[in-house]
Amino acid sequence: MRSGIFTLKSVALAWLLIVAMVITLALRQGLAFDSSILSLLPESDQRPLVQYASEQMSKDYSERLILVVSGEDEQKVRAAVRLMAENLIRLPEISRLYWQVSDSEITRLGNELYPYRFSVIDPGIRDLVRAGEYRQISDRALARIFGPLPVAASSIIEDPFGLYIELIGHSKSGLNIRISNSLLRVTNTEIPSYLMILTLNGSPFSGELQRQVLNAISVQHKLMSSAINSIGMSGMLLHAAAGAHQAKTEIATIGIGSLIGIIITMLLVFRRFKPLLLLLFPVAIGCIFATAMILLIFSKVHLVTFAFGAGLVGVSIDYALHFLCERRVSSAQTVMRKIFPGLLLGLFSSIMAYGAPALTPFPGLRQMAAFSVFGLSAAWITVVLWLPLITGNDVQQALGVAARLSKLRQKFPKLESNPVLILLLLLPLGMAINSIWNSAAQDDIRLLQTSPASLLAQEKALQRDLGISSSAGFILVSADSLEASLQKQEQLVSLLKKLEQEGTIGGFQALSSTLPSLKRQAENFALVQTLYGSQLAYIYDVINLPPDSFSRALLVQENSQGHLLTPEIWQQLTGSEGKKNLIVRQTTAPAATIIQLTGQLSSSAKLKLMSIVDSMPGVTFVDQVQNISDLMKKYRVQAETWVIVAYVFVLFVLLLRYKRQVWRIVTPPMLASVYTLAILVQLGYGINLFHMLALILVLGIGLDMGIFLTETDEAPHTWLAVSLSAFTSLLAFGLLALSETPVLHHFGLTIAIGLTLVWLISPLMRKY
Amino acid sequence: MKWGILGILAMLIPFAADAQVTFSQLAEITTSPERLEGRFRQEKYLAALDATLMSTGVFSYQRGKLIRWEILEPIRNILELTPTAMTTMQADGEILRLDSASNSNAAVLGRIFFSVLTAEWESLSNYFELTGEIEGRQWHAVLVPIDAAVMQVFSLIELTGGDLLQEVILHEKSGDRTTIRLDSHR
Repeated sequence: MRSGIFTLKSVALAWLLIVAMVITLALRQGLAFDSSILSLLPESDQRPLVQYASEQMSKDYSERLILVVSGEDEQKVRAAVRLMAENLIRLPEISRLYWQVSDSEITRLGNELYPYRFSVIDPGIRDLVRAGEYRQISDRALARIFGPLPVAASSIIEDPFGLYIELIGHSKSGLNIRISNSLLRVTNTEIPSYLMILTLNGSPFSGELQRQVLNAISVQHKLMSSAINSIGMSGMLLHAAAGAHQAKTEIATIGIGSLIGIIITMLLVFRRFKPLLLLLFPVAIGCIFATAMILLIFSKVHLVTFAFGAGLVGVSIDYALHFLCERRVSSAQTVMRKIFPGLLLGLFSSIMAYGAPALTPFPGLRQMAAFSVFGLSAAWITVVLWLPLITGNDVQQALGVAARLSKLRQKFPKLESNPVLILLLLLPLGMAINSIWNSAAQDDIRLLQTSPASLLAQEKALQRDLGISSSAGFILVSADSLEASLQKQEQLVSLLKKLEQEGTIGGFQALSSTLPSLKRQAENFALVQTLYGSQLAYIYDVINLPPDSFSRALLVQENSQGHLLTPEIWQQLTGSEGKKNLIVRQTTAPAATIIQLTGQLSSSAKLKLMSIVDSMPGVTFVDQVQNISDLMKKYRVQAETWVIVAYVFVLFVLLLRYKRQVWRIVTPPMLASVYTLAILVQLGYGINLFHMLALILVLGIGLDMGIFLTETDEAPHTWLAVSLSAFTSLLAFGLLALSETPVLHHFGLTIAIGLTLVWLISPLMRKY
Repeated sequence: MKWGILGILAMLIPFAADAQVTFSQLAEITTSPERLEGRFRQEKYLAALDATLMSTGVFSYQRGKLIRWEILEPIRNILELTPTAMTTMQADGEILRLDSASNSNAAVLGRIFFSVLTAEWESLSNYFELTGEIEGRQWHAVLVPIDAAVMQVFSLIELTGGDLLQEVILHEKSGDRTTIRLDSHR
C-alpha cells in the first residue's frame, strides 16, 4: 500500500512536471490572441488572394482614427487644431498624423500630373473626343481663357484646351474637404470644422493604446474647451474601446457576481475552504494546459476558442465535484475505485463529443475541439492523480445537503410506468420540433456587433459630414501583370458607370481612374492628337494670336508622345498616397488591384455585380459583410451537425456499458436541448451559432450527470455533485444572459435554459 | 513680365508704409448693395505670349447669392457663381456645373472672386493680408495671399474703388494678369 501511494505520488508529480513544461514552452513562444473573423474561414474555402486583399483593406481601416474638431470661431479652432496636432504627434502610440498639407505638398499635388496631361485625361473629355464633339471642348477652353477666373497651371501654348484643368477640376477627392490655410477644412458644416487622421502605432484592440490615445484627445479637448465645441471621432479604435469597456463592466458585475455565488454555494455545502480550492485546482490546470497546447499547435489562440473553452469549466468541474462528494461517504482507499468507471466513461464520452469537430475543415471548430480535449483530459488527470493524495486525511462525513436534495428529488414523479407523464413530455416535444423546423435561422453579422447604438449614430453623422460612404464591398481584379489588371479594370469601369448612373450602386473608386493602363494612355494621346488636329487652329483664330505660337503649341503636344505615367512613377507621387492600398501588396497572382465600392449595396445590386464579375476571368466581387454572414451560417450548420453526431456517437458508446438503461442518461440533455431551442424560437430569436455551441456544453454536463448517477445507482451524494455542477455552470455562464454583448447573451441564455431543464428532467428518469 | 510685377510691388511700397488699412475700415466705406448690375471690360495679359486678350460683357449680382458674368465679345458665355457652385453656360446651350464639394480648388477661386466682387471683406480675410490706403471716398487695397492653396494661383490682388468697386487686378503666379474694369449702376 505504501509503495502504491509512493508510485501514485511520483506519477502525480510527473504529471505536474509535464504541465509545467508545456506551459514554459508555450510562454517562451509568447501569448498571442487572434480575433480576426477571417482566420475562422474554412481552409477549403480560403482563397488566399481574397483574404490578403480583405485583410489589407480592413487593416488600413482599423489602424485609422478620424477626428473632426469643431468650434464657433474659425481662428481659434485653427489654432487649437495646430496645438492639438503638435501634442498628439508626440505620443508613441500614434505613428502618423495627417492634419495639414504643407505648401510644398500643395505645389507638388497641383503640378505632379501636369507632364502627363496628354495621356492621363479627364474621362468626360475622352468621351467627348471619341464622340467627335470637339467643338464643346474648345468652347469650354475659350470660356476659361476669356473668363474672369485665373486659368492657373495651364497656358495657351502648353495646354490650350485646358486638359489639365479639366482633369484636376473633375477629379473627386471623395471627401468633403478643402485645404484652407494648410489645414483640412470640412466643407458644408454649420460651424468651422477641421479634419485630422491618426494612424495608430499598433493594434486598436490594445487596451493600453486605447487609453493613451483617447485620454490624450480628451485632455486636449479640455485644455482648449474655449475654442473647441466638439471632437467627432470615427474608427475601429472606438469600437474596440467600447467593446473592451463593456466586457470589463460585465466581467466586474456578472463575473464577480457569479464567482461570489459559486463560492458561497460551495462554502454552504462543504462548510470548509479546502474543497473550494480543490475544485479550482483541476479546472485551472485544465484551462492553462489547454491554452498552452493550443498555442504550441496553432501558434495563436482565437478569442472565440478562448470564450468557448472557458465554458469547459462547467464540464471539468464535474470530475472534481464527483470525487469530493463521493469522498464524504467513502474512505480515501475506496473512493477512487468506486467512481473511476464513471469518471472514465464521462471523460471518454465528452472527448468523443467534443473531439468530433477536429475532423471538420473549420479551423475555428478544430481549435475548440482541441481545446476541449486537452482541457478536459488535463482536468481529469489532475483529479485522478492529485485529489486522492490531497484528500488522504480528510474526514469522512456525509453532507447534510445531499440528503435534503435527494428528498426533493424523490418528490419528482418517475417517468417509467407513468404514461401520462410520458405523454406530457412528448407532446410539447412534437410542438417544439415543429416550431424549430419552421423557424428561420439567424446568421446576421450584427450578432458580432458589440458597439452601443450612440457610438454608431455619432460615427454615421461624422461620415455623412465628411462624405465617406465606403461599403465593405469591393471588386478584386487579378491578372498576369499590373498593366493587364488595369486594362481589366477599365473594361469593368465602363460597366460600373452604367450601374452608377442607374443608381444601382452608390459609386466606386477604381485605381484605373487615377492610373490608367499604358494602353489606355496611348489611346488617350492619340485622341488628344485628333483634337489638336481639329480644333487648335480654331482656338488660335478666336484668340487672334500670331501663327508661330500656333506651331509652338502643336510641337509641345507632339513632343510629349510616349510620355506615359507608369505605375512606378505614379507610386512616387504625393497624390497616390491614399490610393496605393488599391494595389494588393501580398498576392498569389502576379498582380491584383481593387475597385472599392461606395454606399450601401442592395441585394439586387449584388446580383448585378456578380453577373458582371462572373463573365470576366480573374475578377471577384468580395462582399465582406455577406462573407461573414455566410461564414456564421456555415459554422452554425456545422455546429448543428456536430450536436447530432455527438448524440449518436455517445449513444453507441454508452450502449455498450448500460445496454437498455442508456435512455436514462441521454434523454435529459436531448429533451432539454430541443425544448431550449423551441423556447429561444418562441422568445423571437433566430437560431444561431452561439445557441448551438451552448447546447454542446449542455450535452457535456447532462451526460456527466446521467453517467455519474447511473454508476453510483443514483446515490444522494452523486445527485448533490451533479446538481452542484449544473448550478455552478448556471451561475458562471447562465448569468451571461444579462450581457449586452450579443454573443455572450445568446450563449448565456441558452446555457441557463438548457441546464435548468436538464436538472429538472433528470430526476424524472431515475430508476429508484 | 517679371519687371511688371516688381514694378507693381514697387508702387505698393508707399501704400504699405502708409496707413494700415483694415478690412473693417473698408467694410465701413464701401457699400455692398443687395443687387447690382453693370458692364465690364476685361484684359487678360498672357505672360507666355506677351499678348493681351480683351473681352467685354455685362454682369449682375444678388449679394450673398449669385453672380452672373456674361461675356458678349469675342465669344458668348455665361458664368454663374453661387457660394457653393459654379455653372458655365455656352452659346450652344451646353451647361457645365461644378460643385464646390467635388472640386475644391476651383471652388476656392470661385469663392474668392465672389467675395471680391461683392465686397465680402470678412471672408477675404481668411485668405489674404491687407494693405492699402484710403483717401476720402476713394480707396485702393492690395490683398496678399496667406493661404497656401490661394498662393498657388495668385501672387496678389489689387482692388480700387469708391462707393463701389471700380477695378480689380488679379496677378497670377504664372505671370498672367487679369484687369477688370467695372461700370456699375444699381
